[in-house]
Amino acid sequence: MVNSAQTVLSPSWPDRQHIDLISEAVVRVLKGTGIRIDDVDFVIDSGSDFLDGRSISNCGFLGAMGAHHKEESRVEEDGLWALTYGANKIAAGSASVGLIIAYSKPSESIVSNFWADMLEPFTQRPIGLDHESAAALYGQRYLARAGLVADDLQAVSRRAYRLAVSNAGVDLDAVPDDEAFWSEEVSSPLRRADFARPVDGAVAILLASPDVADQITARPVWITGMGSAIDQHFIAAREPDSLPAATAAAKSALRMAGTDSAKDYDLVELSGASTVGELMVAEAIGLAEPYSAIELYRNETASLNPSGGALPADVIMATGLVRVHEASSRLAGRTDSGDIGASSALVHGTGGFSMQNHCVVTMEVAS
Amino acid sequence: MTLTDTTEVARSSAENMHYMPAQLTIPYTLTPGQATGIFIAELVNKRLLGSRHGDEIIVPAQDFSGSTGEPASGFVEVAPVGEVQAFTTNAKGTLGLVLIDGTTTPFLHKLVGFEPGSLEIGTRVAAIWSESPTGNSVLDLAGFGPIGEAGTFEPKSDPEGLAEPIEQIDYTMTLDFKHAYGAYYGTLFDGVETGRRIRGSKCSKCRRVLLPPRAVCDSCFAPATEWADVADTGTIQASSVVHIEFLGQRKQPPYVYAEIVLDGASTRLIHIVGDVDAERAKTAAAPGARVRAVWSDQHTGSLGDIEHFELIEE
Amino acid sequence: MTQVAIVGTGQTVHARRRTDVSQAGLAREAVVEALNDAGLTMDDIDSIVVASGPAMFGSVNQPEKWLVDALGARYKPVVRVTSGGGTGLAGALAAVNQIKGGSARRVLVVAYDKLSEGPLQANISTLYDPFWGREFAVGIMGFSAAYWHARMKRLGHTEEAAAMVSVKNRHNSMLNPKAHVKREVTVEEVLASRPLCWPIKILDVPPISDGACAVILAADADAEAITPTPAWIHGISYVGEADNAPDRSMLQSEPLQIAAMKVYKEAGITNPFRQFDVAELQEPYTCFELSYYEGLGFCPEGGAAELIASGETTMEGSLPVNPSGGCMGANPIGATALIRLAEVAMQVTGKAGAHQVKGAQRGVAQAGGGWANLRGVAVVGAEKR
Repeated sequence: MVNSAQTVLSPSWPDRQHIDLISEAVVRVLKGTGIRIDDVDFVIDSGSDFLDGRSISNCGFLGAMGAHHKEESRVEEDGLWALTYGANKIAAGSASVGLIIAYSKPSESIVSNFWADMLEPFTQRPIGLDHESAAALYGQRYLARAGLVADDLQAVSRRAYRLAVSNAGVDLDAVPDDEAFWSEEVSSPLRRADFARPVDGAVAILLASPDVADQITARPVWITGMGSAIDQHFIAAREPDSLPAATAAAKSALRMAGTDSAKDYDLVELSGASTVGELMVAEAIGLAEPYSAIELYRNETASLNPSGGALPADVIMATGLVRVHEASSRLAGRTDSGDIGASSALVHGTGGFSMQNHCVVTMEVAS
Repeated sequence: MTLTDTTEVARSSAENMHYMPAQLTIPYTLTPGQATGIFIAELVNKRLLGSRHGDEIIVPAQDFSGSTGEPASGFVEVAPVGEVQAFTTNAKGTLGLVLIDGTTTPFLHKLVGFEPGSLEIGTRVAAIWSESPTGNSVLDLAGFGPIGEAGTFEPKSDPEGLAEPIEQIDYTMTLDFKHAYGAYYGTLFDGVETGRRIRGSKCSKCRRVLLPPRAVCDSCFAPATEWADVADTGTIQASSVVHIEFLGQRKQPPYVYAEIVLDGASTRLIHIVGDVDAERAKTAAAPGARVRAVWSDQHTGSLGDIEHFELIEE
Repeated sequence: MTQVAIVGTGQTVHARRRTDVSQAGLAREAVVEALNDAGLTMDDIDSIVVASGPAMFGSVNQPEKWLVDALGARYKPVVRVTSGGGTGLAGALAAVNQIKGGSARRVLVVAYDKLSEGPLQANISTLYDPFWGREFAVGIMGFSAAYWHARMKRLGHTEEAAAMVSVKNRHNSMLNPKAHVKREVTVEEVLASRPLCWPIKILDVPPISDGACAVILAADADAEAITPTPAWIHGISYVGEADNAPDRSMLQSEPLQIAAMKVYKEAGITNPFRQFDVAELQEPYTCFELSYYEGLGFCPEGGAAELIASGETTMEGSLPVNPSGGCMGANPIGATALIRLAEVAMQVTGKAGAHQVKGAQRGVAQAGGGWANLRGVAVVGAEKR
């Protein structure tokens, strides 16, 4: 990965269309690299027809993606999967420069429909199941098992919002001070603050083969491991308080990277659809023992989600790829927050109803 | 005028003009498959069916186990009673995971009829059947409520006299959107609405005029920073004569579907050529024919402000 | 260099409406057949690529998530690639890259559509920009007919020539056990058939189908260990064209030409008409087959009408096109492109049964989606290159 860029992630971009957000991210990711659009061999993109309100929406956005007369494919999943596609394509020797793009404008649609319409339409959808109640069912069981109460989850959410305020890429002036946001049950036992906040935005990553990468930047971020795994569809049949698919995804990525544990990484960026979801991911990938991830948040863990993570800024189809942007920017020393001395990172992304699908990518810079 | 300040050229006449509301209402006829089809069909008979997959018994019955992918080896009839494993309450009501007696996987459904605070993990519940079953919905089982006097029994393998599976279920999906105009469509359609003025944006590299206007050229990916006026006359690039009728159609067939390149633009606009006989259209409204916009009395700020295009008779 | 092969294929029997299976169950049928063909079980599969038509066609957002249970894919990598009608070929390309990139050794690609469940033309109109064209769109048919009309004038793609495509493909369908429309027609019948969007008439149009297709891919020694007859992919590409790009005449499909040029170079094809023994083209309307003859270089620009009239693309000709019957026999849109690829693989490995082209060694599959702006090409051969 030789560069990355994103638009500001905002609850609403009322004056801009999808194509405007996409082309801004693409213009920015090329800037300063010496790579021109004509040098790009292929584009892999992530977005959602259901969020965009049109079928095969990639088809209408090819120009904004700089994909005219190039190899292009749409991966209808979080952009982290698009990144793994692109990385495979370069590793395969089929191409040397690729553009990975992910975007969403959830402000243009009704987000609860986007999630609920993923459910098979015969037994789960008609009963009124939505993404919040599904997260809450996990929440009730997880809290009971971990010996926590809902207030304890504020260790996760307040930290996330605090960090997001200092993240220039997230449109958030201050930590919300609305009491209901933190305390009122939306779907018991979870509150508004426990659910990821949908935002609009686009992100782009520029991938290059080693020979090209070395010409572009002194500090390319190398992808060292990739893994993904999906759980079964029926929420009722999944594990009650853990995410074994995230474990399987992390295992594959760590095996490929030749590392033993997620704890070996200097920096970790996770995507949680809810506070409880984020805790379960941290445990699933091996950052904490089962039911003890809250300690990572109680004892400030600087290496975990320094961006604030997905809770204050969930770009839905792009959240995992935003985590890559955050992690790779830090590794390459491209952030304003300066060089934190990290040389390796692990990034997690999720997709599907109530975090059915998981992807883990590891990366490093030469130290 | 340039497009560098995108916020200034946004459609700003009124707050609600930033968005175009759109609704997709799509009717479907969905097939649930064998197991779910039988499961739903049997709810009107107040029978709850599970499927057997090796050691697993799943309610509602499934064709395949999500845990193993194993197909159902048969059905079991289970007592419509069980125990709550988890629940959540929101503004719409309460949903709970109910482990039906004798099964291995909980059933997610509504929990109804509980006093606030009376529901706990482990609470025993019984089926509440709909008073007006439809014969084609999981909601023929309204949910689970307090157990009362309901008894239980062991799952009965291979129950007799099962209903035929439901073959199709009518379903309508409604999706609401509010599409942002953005600066480019905003400016274009403001001009169309108020002055019948059509403008594209000119690519700084290839100098072609994009209509609809875009921030970057779809071909060159170079900035398209200049506005350019486009005429309301043009040339048909491609055309066909529409005879089919379909849901949501705007005009009664036959009529001419045309892709038109307006004078001064380099891209196509999709519209209708009106006032031409279907047979004559094959030659008169053929590719290469010249057309002119016929503006409507409506001022909506959309392509619909052009009623149709008419042939310019040479 | 790693070379990937198709080691198993499966298809449902396509039908106007399958009321006995759900969308997920339909996809499973094709997968079971492909696994059986390859002599593998789901345990042997490292990764799954799901390709299907636009999700709104089937009412389920991200339907691969639902399919997981029917496929028995829990804890495997599952991703969906979507690209309109050509999505099956785009899915196969993703699988090829997973294998060549070292992420997986045996990859299953499954593509399906259950078009009987939704209103097709209205759903297709949701492709269009809500601000620009949707209000006047006629699915993809109005558009396709319009550009055929343009090609008729400029390239001589006459109604008679397209009717011959319909006659040929419907004739070929008669011998394909998976095809759901089996009815021979004559040129006169096609020409006299009811116009839907003139010049497109009802017999220029494929059926609306429920169907699924699955293909299993593996590389080199893995492929040779699985089957004595791998169908080697000599090249595969999928190219897009920006809809609003200036000066798009669409008389020729430029993304098709670009994809073909790239693939032919990889596959060592310099004279496609002579070097291919068989072709499977995705011709959702008859006029497209004519256009693809030119785009794929089977004949010079403007030569398609002559080529179809010569009979060289019939089963008895030197380059049979669509021995399966193509889309005229069955058109489950999301699966159609993968069916084309599977059919070529079956042909070059001698597994095509009654519609086998004798001695076929090398063939080309073509696919497309969107508003003629997404185009894929794959060359498949019996010999490893």
